[in-house]
Amino acid sequence: MIRLVRPAVACLVLSLPSVSLSAQTTPTASVAIERQLATELGLSVGDTIRLATAADSLGWLFTVGAVYEPSADPAEIAKRERHLRLHLADLAWLLRTPDRVDRLSIGLHPGISADSAVSVLNRTAYGYRVYSAEAIASESSQTFLVVSRFHRAIAVITIVASAVFLLCIMLLKVEERRLDAAVMRFVGVRRRTIFLALLLEALLVAGLGSMFGAGLAYLAGAATNAYYRRFFDTGLTFSLITPEIVTFSLVLSLVLGALAGGVAAWRLVQTRPVVLWGRG
Amino acid sequence: MTGLAWSWKSLGRHRIRTALSIAGIAVSSAMLLDMVMLSGGIEQSFTELLLARGYQIRVTPKGTLPFDTEATIDSISGIVQRLRAEPAVAEAGAVLGAALYGRKGDSLVTLFGYGIQPEAQALYRLDSGADLAPDDTAGLLLSSPAARLLSAAVGDTVELVGRLDPQVATAAVRKRLAVRGMVDWVYDYKDQPSVGAVLTVIQGLTGRRTGDQGSLIMVKLSQDSAAASVTAGLRRSFPRLEVNSVADLARQFKQRLVYFRQLSYILGTISLVVTVLLIATLLTITVNQRLAEIATLRAIGISRRTVVGQVVAEGVLLTLIGSALGIALGLITARYLDDILTSFPGLPAAFSFFVPRRGTLTTAAVVLLLTGCVAGVYPGWLAARLPIAATLRAEAT
Repeated sequence: MIRLVRPAVACLVLSLPSVSLSAQTTPTASVAIERQLATELGLSVGDTIRLATAADSLGWLFTVGAVYEPSADPAEIAKRERHLRLHLADLAWLLRTPDRVDRLSIGLHPGISADSAVSVLNRTAYGYRVYSAEAIASESSQTFLVVSRFHRAIAVITIVASAVFLLCIMLLKVEERRLDAAVMRFVGVRRRTIFLALLLEALLVAGLGSMFGAGLAYLAGAATNAYYRRFFDTGLTFSLITPEIVTFSLVLSLVLGALAGGVAAWRLVQTRPVVLWGRG
Repeated sequence: MTGLAWSWKSLGRHRIRTALSIAGIAVSSAMLLDMVMLSGGIEQSFTELLLARGYQIRVTPKGTLPFDTEATIDSISGIVQRLRAEPAVAEAGAVLGAALYGRKGDSLVTLFGYGIQPEAQALYRLDSGADLAPDDTAGLLLSSPAARLLSAAVGDTVELVGRLDPQVATAAVRKRLAVRGMVDWVYDYKDQPSVGAVLTVIQGLTGRRTGDQGSLIMVKLSQDSAAASVTAGLRRSFPRLEVNSVADLARQFKQRLVYFRQLSYILGTISLVVTVLLIATLLTITVNQRLAEIATLRAIGISRRTVVGQVVAEGVLLTLIGSALGIALGLITARYLDDILTSFPGLPAAFSFFVPRRGTLTTAAVVLLLTGCVAGVYPGWLAARLPIAATLRAEAT
């Protein structure tokens, strides 16, 4: 059962009317235009516009019947194309291509597998090709898979840079405690106690730092979303910080912090207190 | 001992710390280099691609970019004649792009067809065989993927089919063409099966012969420098058409990929901040650990300027070593990242996002060097304002 027919897609030239309505021989049809286009052209419901298939053709007059908010589509935002919707018959008439469409959407009866229907239809298809909605979704999401792979690669580089930075800072932080460690050793504090104290301190610093970083990331994410939503005039979410991401960052920071702090603390407690004091 | 040797010795005292710092600087520098390449590479690569055959202007249907929609220009041959009559125009050629079918045995394979005017074309480079003559209505050019798909080679005959009619299950138009040559289509994406024939043949196959329709016109000027003024002149002469120079198209393409450019600025800035923080932290702690040494040097007459210079030199040395490693690392990661981004569907195979150039490398190197100097300012200032007597007394007790 064919449930829905998608109208033909075409590039139309839109202009505000400058000739009299008497030039048109058919009744004025209505179109729905997207909100951004309406804003750019200062149009509202009830206004009359002229649509043509070429810049030098006279075209036909249409009435703005509705202004709609387009669904947020990441594939469209960078193109900055503007859309309007016509009844299929009106567009076919305007394009002089009666009974021709670009695509059909087909709804199947419950229980019928989309793949088997695709297979049956493609066996008899001539001049068209049938795809399941899943296949189309997979194909059209290729762009975002590429962007996602790019983001992941950048994330790996960033994590490596952050890890090295964290290791370095933790090492320096522990080394800064040379004199304290020397004093503690002089007064008889055990190596193990000093080691655990330094390790605990490293974990504390790593934990606090990563929590501060998570807060900073939330702020940066909010700023990113606010900026790009305004820039592209869309409701899409560009930066999404999930609990999994925060947990991963915290665990990674703690592990790296413990590792760096542990190594540095171990080296420190193995050094003679006199050397730590700077007299060795 | 020179400042540099002194710095080298100082860094060598704490090898693990120095190695970690250099590793951090190397990764940050690699990221910075990649982002510098990305920010300028998109525009540069696109411009080079458009100018691959030296055609500086594109004329398309009003409100569209080349091959962005299926819109066409009517009576295109007449417009090409008018363009060729312009004094500044050296060559002008019309192109029609459309989906076609090729017969392979009992089945049909989908192809992309280019209708061209062989006397003025900027779409392909001939790999083997012969080029089309302007009046060769029986000849065909194939890309390697198309040849593979059709199992055809130079000298074979291929049947092209256009406008299939699902109602009566038959092809409305078909034409047998002889393969003249194998070509590399400049703007094809990876593995795109494209074929080319003279404009009138493709127009006939796609039902665009009557209206003499074409997708775009490519214009080559006698002088590159005249592109902007000639584009403006052509816009006035052809107000119903979209006339863009390569610079205009690059600007619009850049606008479409604005996300990557902005991302490169943000990540580049973060890399710089991380590098500055890393070097500044390391130098500050080094200075704090060497207070007695610095105070002694000052006490025996070494000037403030020399001490500050030595601290800054240490930062610069760290940056130099880290950056040298970072540039090598950056070039490797850029290739990997480029492989990811160039797998965008529909992107010309010849396009590149990360373009290493001498200018880019120089910019990254200068920025990093400045970063090293800036990072050394605070620890240098700490060393310079050190109270000599108080420090020596404190260190002695």
